[in-house]
Amino acid sequence: MTSNQAFKYYPNPLCLKSCNDFKLKASIVWVKPDYELLLQSIAAAQVQEVRSITRIERIGAHSHIRGLGLDDSLEPRAVSQGMVGQKMARKAAGVILQMIREGKIAGRAVLLAGQPGTGKTAIAMGLAQALGPDTPFTSMAGSEIYSLEMSKTEALTQAIRKSIGIRIKEESEIIEGEVVEVVIERAVGTGGARVGRLTLKTTDMETNYDMGTKMIDSLLKEKVQAGDVITIDKATGKINKLGRSFARARDYDATGHQARFVQCPEGELQKRKEVVHTVTLHEVDVINSRTHGFLALFSGDTGEIKSEIREQINSKVAEWREEGKAEMIPGVLFIDEAHMLDIECFSFLNRALEQETAPIVMMATNRGITRIRGTNYKSPHGIPLDLLDRMIIVPTTPYSQQELKEILNIRCEEEDCQMSGDALTVLTRVATETSLRYAIQLITTASLVAKRRKATEVSMEDVKKVYSLFLDEHRSEKFLKEYQDEFMFDDGAGDAPQQMEVSQ
Amino acid sequence: MVEEYNIDTQVLLRRSWKLKGKLGGEGKWQAEIGDPIPEVSANVEMADLTECKDQPILTRRNTRVNLEWRIRNLPYPIETYSIKVDNDNKCIIVSTTNKKYYKKLEVPELQRLNLQLQQANVQSSHNFNTLIISYKKPQPLLDMEKEWFEQLKTVKPIKDIPNECNTQ
Repeated sequence: MTSNQAFKYYPNPLCLKSCNDFKLKASIVWVKPDYELLLQSIAAAQVQEVRSITRIERIGAHSHIRGLGLDDSLEPRAVSQGMVGQKMARKAAGVILQMIREGKIAGRAVLLAGQPGTGKTAIAMGLAQALGPDTPFTSMAGSEIYSLEMSKTEALTQAIRKSIGIRIKEESEIIEGEVVEVVIERAVGTGGARVGRLTLKTTDMETNYDMGTKMIDSLLKEKVQAGDVITIDKATGKINKLGRSFARARDYDATGHQARFVQCPEGELQKRKEVVHTVTLHEVDVINSRTHGFLALFSGDTGEIKSEIREQINSKVAEWREEGKAEMIPGVLFIDEAHMLDIECFSFLNRALEQETAPIVMMATNRGITRIRGTNYKSPHGIPLDLLDRMIIVPTTPYSQQELKEILNIRCEEEDCQMSGDALTVLTRVATETSLRYAIQLITTASLVAKRRKATEVSMEDVKKVYSLFLDEHRSEKFLKEYQDEFMFDDGAGDAPQQMEVSQ
Repeated sequence: MVEEYNIDTQVLLRRSWKLKGKLGGEGKWQAEIGDPIPEVSANVEMADLTECKDQPILTRRNTRVNLEWRIRNLPYPIETYSIKVDNDNKCIIVSTTNKKYYKKLEVPELQRLNLQLQQANVQSSHNFNTLIISYKKPQPLLDMEKEWFEQLKTVKPIKDIPNECNTQ
């Protein structure tokens, strides 16, 4: 039995007029009449449609951060852009930001050191936001370099080269036109591959295009709908919304003030245009390392890249820069949990930072004096002294009670949760006594409890309830200590010295 | 640049150029004359936006006296098309009254000789969903091709029939 549904995609349910022509189009092909299945698939199509319209942005741990919260003279504001407190560290990050923007200094290393939950990652994220989308910012965890496919140094080299951008002018094929129709079809059944069709027109012509999954995703992300004038870079698949067509200006009674109306383009849909691309050094490496033909299927981005190719590209880039064809944009490589790197990586970094094409390397760690991975020596932050010597260290300090309250307040807003004043006070006390992360965990859980008793606001009782439902780390430890002998594999040895593996 | 000739009729079957990207990497073959060359490594991930199979396809196929363009998958009747010479942009413009198709045809042969396009030389016919546009080769182009072929005659063709295939 083959059956396919096709439905029109209207991504904007809020516009009044589109509700009228919000018709579900389901065309179903079936071999024998089977009405139950027909109904099922219509229902499935409806669910599918609703899901694609009300796609919610997922809320991450740092999605409330929109920048470093500095004013024009790089002085930190108390509460701004999702950042609270930590003024000294933010001021330091502002200085670093200025250094990156000027782009003169290559290969500096910065270490963010502080206790868990003091906003190290938040500062790095804020720095990434403040730098903007044009500056490459690579974020990785220290343990990401341990892969079976690649050596550690190769992974680090790739990460370093991903953090250096090159702005270059290139002629590329661009499709520019007004969207007539976007149709996304999905074969029935879970995991059915999506197939999309996009119809574009200019004043003189009209063409249908087939879309792959990636293109469908980026169309949905950009919320492209019929009547938009868009450009698509054929090589990279990048979509750029130019505005809405004048012909569609009267489609909706109400339009946002930022709606821009443009003329429908003329002539051919496909044009060759000079565009300024920002590519990373790693991307140039990959383009040039692909062996042509059949083998290209097996050597993807994950393979190792020969050092000769890298050297060739370095000299080519230097040539372009001299001729003024290209511009180098040094970015930031952020390594979280830097104590997970081992001694080989550190010595490699020592050398890599001295190169001209090195980015600013930012590391974060929450360790004190601890063993350097791969050795039996101890060192501050688990980082060898010679590398520490090359770094500027930015400390973060624990938050004050007032700052904790402010952060919790921001998180409540971000997680879309109304909280009463006394509940917030209780939550702040929980944060000071246990940890900030645990208190943040309680926000959504408490709001769910409040929702169950059909209240619009989270009260103190809700917070108390989830506090009793979910243990924090201290209470869990206490509980374990109390009932230790009733758990499995207890040899009664009590506090036997723990053997920690020293990985090589 | 690679050219293929039919040595019996002296007609150029294919002329294609290998274009390299600015960032390097394997170049792509672009056919100026003859059918387009399918890409060897049809990368599924890269081909994320492709024209539908039923969309018009333009190919070049020259005859001895004409430059020819064939546009397949154009179902509209012949009255729909207007084919005009645009000497400012050095191209032939194909447009349709129903606003479904529009194309600027470049004429690299004449551009290389710095010749003007003449509307009188353009002819067109429509058959089996294919629009054929032919442009009569002007005398200077014919002369040049003749001269060029005389030179090519001195090149010895390589008989490249592989003899290892016999066993299969």
